Amino acid sequence: MANELQLVVVTPETTIVDEPVSALRFPLFDGQAGVLPGRAPLVGRLGCGELKMTTAGGERSYFVDGGFVQINGPTVTLLTARCLSNDDIDSDAVRLELEEATKRPAANDADIDARFRDQDRARAMLAQNKK
Amino acid sequence: MAKARAIVKRLKAVKNIRKITRTMELIATARFKKAMDRATEAASYTKKISEIVADLSKADLSFSHPLLQQPEEQTKNVLLVLTSNRGLCGGYNGAVLRHVTTRLKVAKKSGEELAIEVAGKRGLSYLKFQELDYAKAYTNFEDKPRFDEVEEIADRYIEGFIAGDIHRVDVAYTKFESASRQTAVLETLLPVGSLGDEDESEAGADQGVDYEFLPSPEDILEEIVPAAFKARLFKCFLDAAVSEQIARMVAMKGATENAGDMISELSMQYNRARQSQITSELSEIIGGAAALE
Repeated sequence: MANELQLVVVTPETTIVDEPVSALRFPLFDGQAGVLPGRAPLVGRLGCGELKMTTAGGERSYFVDGGFVQINGPTVTLLTARCLSNDDIDSDAVRLELEEATKRPAANDADIDARFRDQDRARAMLAQNKK
Repeated sequence: MAKARAIVKRLKAVKNIRKITRTMELIATARFKKAMDRATEAASYTKKISEIVADLSKADLSFSHPLLQQPEEQTKNVLLVLTSNRGLCGGYNGAVLRHVTTRLKVAKKSGEELAIEVAGKRGLSYLKFQELDYAKAYTNFEDKPRFDEVEEIADRYIEGFIAGDIHRVDVAYTKFESASRQTAVLETLLPVGSLGDEDESEAGADQGVDYEFLPSPEDILEEIVPAAFKARLFKCFLDAAVSEQIARMVAMKGATENAGDMISELSMQYNRARQSQITSELSEIIGGAAALE
């Protein structure tokens, strides 16, 4: 259909979402990106953050943690290592993770990158959990 | 009466064992179906990854990634052995461990440093019996390996490989080919040989799509190589789990059938023993009566 997209979210373990949506928003590596029906083909890297989609039954959102997106015609495929629904986020555990990442000593560039990445991820998770 | 009593005892034991093997067969069947479902669901991820790789390869780009590079020497290698935690699954573990033995012989000859990592108690006890050292042991993988757990291992390999501490990673596991065919294999996962899967030609069927790459094909490649490796390692674990259940199912089916055969044989023996006892008792009575006349 012209005004609908088929959204497929797969993780290594299972397929989480496979349904038609009218619009969606997902985190690319450098910020949120929105997709409406008729988007040109795209392959992109995902960041971590909120995946928001508008379906016939209303809006739903998930947390995705890195991966790739492939848009080919009406099909949008998100490949991600982890995809959690809002209820699955354990905010206490995430808070601990954030604390650990903040305290972790980082001596070289790679460590610092890793620390920022972990911090960003934890903050994104917390932000979403509060909604 | 002594002989007949002994046969009855054995008969009871065999009947009990048949009950157990029959139950184990049913459990293995149920677990196999679950594991199989997981494996099929996981397949879509691998398929998509190879699809993206196929798209990337059309974007004219020289594939160069640390994980793709062949190291100059292969002296520090890792062998990951996937066996089951439980026994009673026929030749499942034996077939995998046979590969391990041959690989160890090769390693001994070439003088390389081979760190053995083993998943499953069966492989562990084998190594202990052979008095071999192992670097790491995992017993947390049951019939449902989780991606998080596998990812941890994969991350360690990737890090070691890039740092040059690991030159090659081999995995000995049972590959699932179809429900009636599983073979123990030894596969090299690192360095990543070719990125595309066997079904790459299939995935590349929809040609002519001009993709926009965000941020750039190189960047995506950099991310997708480790992802592909992880997915592949995870598939090894899933395959091993499915194969284990099938092996157990087949072994227990055979055991149940054998127990059935044994029961019919034993009950025949028992009937004969009882009959001969009755006959001898009768003849004793008749003999006694005849002597009194």
